[in-house]
Amino acid sequence: MKTTDLTYSEVNSLVLRMLEPPRKAYFGILFFLLSVVGIGVTAWAYQIFRGMGVTGLNNPVGWGVYITDFVFWVGIAHSGTLISAILYLFRARWRTSIYRSAEAMTVFAVLTAGLFPLIHLGRVWLFYWLFPYPNQRFLWPNFRSPLILDVLAVSTYLTVSSVFFFIGLLPDIAAARDQATGWRKKVYAVLSLGWKGTHRLWHHYGAAYLFFAALATPLVISVHSVVSWDFALSIIPGWHSTIFAPYFVAGAIHSGLAMVLTILIPLRKIFKVEKLITLDNLEAMAKMIILTGLIVGYAYATEFFIAWYSGNQYEYEIFRWRATGDYAAEYWIMVVFNSLIPLLFFVKRIRRSVAWLFALGILINIGMWFERYVIIVTSLAHDFLPYAWGHYKPSLVEFAITLGSFGWFFLLFFSFAKFLPAISIAETKELLPLPVKRGGKRG
Amino acid sequence: MRRRDFIKLLGVASSASVATSCGLTPENSQKLIPYLVPPDREIIPGKGMFLSTTCTECPVHCGISVQVRDKVIQNRHRQVPIKIEGLPGHPINDGRLCIRGQAALHRLYHAERFKQPMRREGDGQFAPISWEEAYQVILQHMAKVKSDQRKIGYLSGRTTGALAELMDSFCTHVGVEKLPEYEPLFPASVVNASFALFGRKELPEYRIDRCDFLLSVGADLLETFGNPVQNSRRIAAQRKKGTFRWVHLEPHVSLTGLNATQRLTPKPDSEWAVIAYLLQRVHQSGRAKKTLPGSVLQEVPQLSIEKVEELTGIPKEKLQHLEESFFASDRPLTIAGGVSTASQNGAFLAALTGLLQWATGQVGATVDYTTAVDYSSVGSAAAMESWLKELDQGRIGVLFISRCNPVGTAPQSWQLHHRLKKADLVVGLADLPDETTALCDIILPVSHSLESWGEVSPRKDVASVLQPVLDPIYETRTEGDILLDLYRLELGAAETVDYREYVQKRWRKASSSRDLPTLMQQGYYSVSAEKRPVRLRETRAANLLRSARPQEKTEAAIVYFPPSLRFYDGRSRRLPLLQEIPDPLSSVSYGRWIAVSVATAKRLGIRDRDELRLGIGEWETQIAARIQPGLPEGVFVVYRDQLDAYPVHHLNPAGEPLSFLSGARLEKTGARVALPILSGSTSDHERGIIAHFKEEKESKHEPQVQMYEPHEHKVYRWAMAIDLEACTGCSACVAACYQENNIPLVGKEEHVRGREMAWIRIEPYYTGEEAEFLPMMCQQCDNAPCEPVCPVYATYHNPEGLNAQIYNRCVGTRYCSNNCPYKARRFNWFDHEWPEPLSWGLNPDVSLRNRGVMEKCTFCVHRIRSAKDAARDEDRLVLDGEVVPACAQTCPADAIVFGNLLDPESRVAKLARSGRAYHVLEELNTQPAVTYLSPHKKEGE
Amino acid sequence: MAVKRWIVPSIFFVFLSGLALVLLGQNLLWKRVYRQPEQPIAFSHEIHVGKLNLKCTTCHTTVEKSIRAGVPAVATCMSCHKAVAADRPQVQKLREFWEKKEPIPWEKIHNLPPHVYFSHKRHIQAGIDCATCHGEVRVMPEIRQVRSLKMGWCVDCHRAKAAPLDCYTCHK
Repeated sequence: MKTTDLTYSEVNSLVLRMLEPPRKAYFGILFFLLSVVGIGVTAWAYQIFRGMGVTGLNNPVGWGVYITDFVFWVGIAHSGTLISAILYLFRARWRTSIYRSAEAMTVFAVLTAGLFPLIHLGRVWLFYWLFPYPNQRFLWPNFRSPLILDVLAVSTYLTVSSVFFFIGLLPDIAAARDQATGWRKKVYAVLSLGWKGTHRLWHHYGAAYLFFAALATPLVISVHSVVSWDFALSIIPGWHSTIFAPYFVAGAIHSGLAMVLTILIPLRKIFKVEKLITLDNLEAMAKMIILTGLIVGYAYATEFFIAWYSGNQYEYEIFRWRATGDYAAEYWIMVVFNSLIPLLFFVKRIRRSVAWLFALGILINIGMWFERYVIIVTSLAHDFLPYAWGHYKPSLVEFAITLGSFGWFFLLFFSFAKFLPAISIAETKELLPLPVKRGGKRG
Repeated sequence: MRRRDFIKLLGVASSASVATSCGLTPENSQKLIPYLVPPDREIIPGKGMFLSTTCTECPVHCGISVQVRDKVIQNRHRQVPIKIEGLPGHPINDGRLCIRGQAALHRLYHAERFKQPMRREGDGQFAPISWEEAYQVILQHMAKVKSDQRKIGYLSGRTTGALAELMDSFCTHVGVEKLPEYEPLFPASVVNASFALFGRKELPEYRIDRCDFLLSVGADLLETFGNPVQNSRRIAAQRKKGTFRWVHLEPHVSLTGLNATQRLTPKPDSEWAVIAYLLQRVHQSGRAKKTLPGSVLQEVPQLSIEKVEELTGIPKEKLQHLEESFFASDRPLTIAGGVSTASQNGAFLAALTGLLQWATGQVGATVDYTTAVDYSSVGSAAAMESWLKELDQGRIGVLFISRCNPVGTAPQSWQLHHRLKKADLVVGLADLPDETTALCDIILPVSHSLESWGEVSPRKDVASVLQPVLDPIYETRTEGDILLDLYRLELGAAETVDYREYVQKRWRKASSSRDLPTLMQQGYYSVSAEKRPVRLRETRAANLLRSARPQEKTEAAIVYFPPSLRFYDGRSRRLPLLQEIPDPLSSVSYGRWIAVSVATAKRLGIRDRDELRLGIGEWETQIAARIQPGLPEGVFVVYRDQLDAYPVHHLNPAGEPLSFLSGARLEKTGARVALPILSGSTSDHERGIIAHFKEEKESKHEPQVQMYEPHEHKVYRWAMAIDLEACTGCSACVAACYQENNIPLVGKEEHVRGREMAWIRIEPYYTGEEAEFLPMMCQQCDNAPCEPVCPVYATYHNPEGLNAQIYNRCVGTRYCSNNCPYKARRFNWFDHEWPEPLSWGLNPDVSLRNRGVMEKCTFCVHRIRSAKDAARDEDRLVLDGEVVPACAQTCPADAIVFGNLLDPESRVAKLARSGRAYHVLEELNTQPAVTYLSPHKKEGE
Repeated sequence: MAVKRWIVPSIFFVFLSGLALVLLGQNLLWKRVYRQPEQPIAFSHEIHVGKLNLKCTTCHTTVEKSIRAGVPAVATCMSCHKAVAADRPQVQKLREFWEKKEPIPWEKIHNLPPHVYFSHKRHIQAGIDCATCHGEVRVMPEIRQVRSLKMGWCVDCHRAKAAPLDCYTCHK
């Protein structure tokens, strides 16, 4: 049964059914997620009061899992914007059913990513020094520092994506308001900003949405380029490279799409919306993943070629070491999971099998996490001065906080799915044939 | 004023006041403690006071100048030492100091120091008692022992000067037998030889500064042999002259060997053959300045060069080359010692060396007996055995053991821990617990030399002064006072002279002309040593040669137990700072390890950190492996101070314990040891980090174009030049830096995790058999990679070219450290504890860094600040050489030069222009302020 | 229009009231942070400086040659107070300390964080009057802090007087 066989009312009911008052199972999961977050918070508190020494970081390797997580989550965020904004501009119809959750994912992923720059600070209680605020001491942040660019980029991204997210939501919140009762109604009423669905409103709405789509699109490129410059602007062999911006953007979308799969497949099952999020949609994403996978694979190859071709011994040594040294395992996980496994999607049977899609999606997520890990750790562990070469092994605290971040992300997403329409009612309707009165049956 | 401006103004004003008001913390708890009565010597708050005294970390006795600060401790003003430096103009070390001397404060402030007299109770535990009680117990036992005609023995480490004199009179008057002094590193063979040959129980002063060719055999000149500080200083000075050549023969590998112009590794215990060969060639070629009498000559084995090659394994052409350069030089110097004389044929080797010195006219020229070190009172291990027999027969009732640890350092097989029980009462005079004090019945805590008056004589012709720089921290007394107390109590002598008056009286006699204050300041006075000419005593020489015939056996799997640079004979191994600083050869800091040659490691499949079971005879131990380039196949090294007892028992004819064991069994246990190896690699991977000197200085990299305007420095551009030719890797600079900059000691676990905190470190880089040592610290780059990445300007380029690090601004992103190609930055992973009294030694000019903050070398910016302050008072600029960072100050080889690069006449500027100048990782265009001077390529094997 | 006329005044009002609040807050904060603690002896600068016109350097002897001004030794106090005003209760306290051979645990009023290097000598030689930082002690019966001694305050003066602004001037 395809989307187009639905009626307006069915769409409404289908989507809004997700918003019905939760059942035990829901609270169960909620509690579970909360406790996972709790673990992370405890670990962080411990780290703050004891010192960064509770991590596995050391002298050559000053960054590890935390920055990996940061890049990973920012990467996740991007596909959201890609799906909602860029595909909107390209009028890719299949995006309709999933863009809402993709957007939500963006906002929550950025919210998660934003934590890690704080977590990795040695003296987090002074984090506000990173913001430009006027003071009698005439002290300002150093705007040449990639880290400041980072702060600006991420905060911008958060603002724009959440505004975009909210605008998209408006009509649906209104729809929810119309169905809901009691306190929920009041809340929706406030959130819907008195949306009436008049023609004038729809007109402005369309314009505004288009505008933000256009505004968000370049951010996908810019933000992750800036993130990549955290590394590219340094002088460390393995970091200092012009390929990084495009390489990271592609990687971001790659991991993002994989994450969308990982989330949507259970979602559509749990909320029984297979009719809206159809196999075709998933398949379309699988095709995108093939593309991004190829780009990422190409980037890996290029890096190696340049490392050898440049004749720069530091560059050459670091890449030789990556593939053969202490971190070879991590490295090959990254290569296989990110650039080889996606090729399986060339097989139609695989890319149309939900199970396969789900499994491969998760593998790609893992692979992308390791990509960041390998880039960050190996480059630092093995740079210019042989005496200073070192080794880094993450500590329990770092694992706990990473785990917590996943808990945090899914907690947000989970509560969103219950509280706000996870699928765009309005845009789904746009795909349907206009309702025609026939013997007063449909309506 | 227009309205808009006014509003803007308001905006700024209000936001500004908000900004300032946040982060105010009440600090009202502090107290302001006045003096009760201002101290007699005027103290300027915040300024250091420098007192001259003498270092007693080892028998060399360098003169030191101790910086004392006035601090408020437990609501009382107190003058405490915070830093030790060499005393300029002192004949022994002239302003320089070694790693152990720099660490002396860690003995003074050691947590485990004996704080009051203690007595062992029935249960074997020590219980504190008062001095009076302790004396009572001792006197009672002495009385008893005397009554039943037994002996009272007094064993001490090497003792000289006032204390030796006092000890002798004490022993004679009180009826105590002074046992031969015990010095674990006593070069018995050498002293024995010079006694036999020249009638001197002395170690001559080796005037490296007078020779043009140095042939050293086994003597670890840079670690423990003779006067390491002066040796390295003189070697460096000679090298600067250019014509100097230095060949070192050693069967294992040592810091000394790796620094020699050429290092030859003869088979263990075959060194004598080389000297014998040279000696006979001297005579055959008629080059002898003094021909040896036939009676002696016939005792010198006649060896063909092939025979020598066979015995030593040194290739023929190398021997010929050695012979040529030895004869080519007109002022040669031959030194035998260390592991080579502490061996079966060592006595013979020492004798031959003495004869060679005599025959080639070194004696009186480069081998100087007028300034020798007197060893007449020190006994060999053999001498020790004789009184131990008495002990066994119970003829020694009371035994004093002072300032030495025979149980921990004497041959294990002597079973001292059993035999000491034979005495009714063993009285230990010590500052720190060790294997010996553990067996004592009474422990009398001895004051640290920095708390004591005294006088030692490091050389025949020099008397060095000790004066207290602080009041004793605990209930301790100086050995002199203890002797005087016992003396008084035993003989009921009326006159109550304490040790202070005793030495001062002596000084007034010795240096009547000079008044005490100036003497105190100068720190030493010279003694007129008798100058009778050195003559060769034929018959005794012949006898010695006959008695000590060399054995021509080739042994396999040999383990050497040399003393180490850091812990000397083991007496320093409990000092935390010395454990924190890695051994320069292996870059291992904490723990114990066995050095395995590259070849052997390959053969047995041994990797670093593998646990090995090392067995020799019945002796066995588990120990971690560390692969050591430059070590000959089949030879292993374990520093003797890493063992709780000395496993060797065999003595050579001169009564010196051998320095090695043969027939070692070595197998992997399969376990891995968390051994803190601080270097990531022992090779520089052809990265030009060590750039050996080439005549045609090809500029590897033409200056790159820059995006940013270069920094302009107006008055000062602080810079440093480090001469790798001179640097021996002795690590004294590292210790000095730790002490000067309040660098925390983080311990083994942190080192294993790779979190060393040293601001300056010695990086060993091996190429084949040779090594160069590279002191690495913050390079204060002009294009510093760390600066642009710091988000809060905690690090920035200051107007004087320093790469400033403002600790309290740092938020701890660690990006600066990531981006530092020299990895010279250190992050504070935790807060650090400074328990009392260790905290007394903190330098108030340098702030303490707490957790989450990045720290690093800043060229001792506080010293720069005070120098500028002084200059400002006199309204002038800082002079060249006025600012001396702690590392440069202590460097025995004078390898580090600091100054202002903008002053073309400054030493550093000249060196930076020299042909040997280069920068590490020059191609990165970081433009460091630290210039390294290329070393010359070693000649190698 | 009617609205327009109110814009400017209302902006003013908002700003000024905001400013007022901030200053009030600061004032309270000031009272909290800079209240001077109870001194072991109620020493009065008013009497010694104001009435007796003693020079600062009479007691703070090292102020011209050291980074610290120096607090007078108890002996210094006694040198006068053996005779002078020996009957006063506060001087009695002083005598007690002197006889118990205990230094007086004065409460430190002017505190700088440990990472700050401040040299009295330099500032005196630059002709800065003591009162610039310590206020008019001659009228203080009980010494108290009258300047924030915060970095911003230091920097202001350094700018005004074209004194060095490099961080290493004051930070160690």
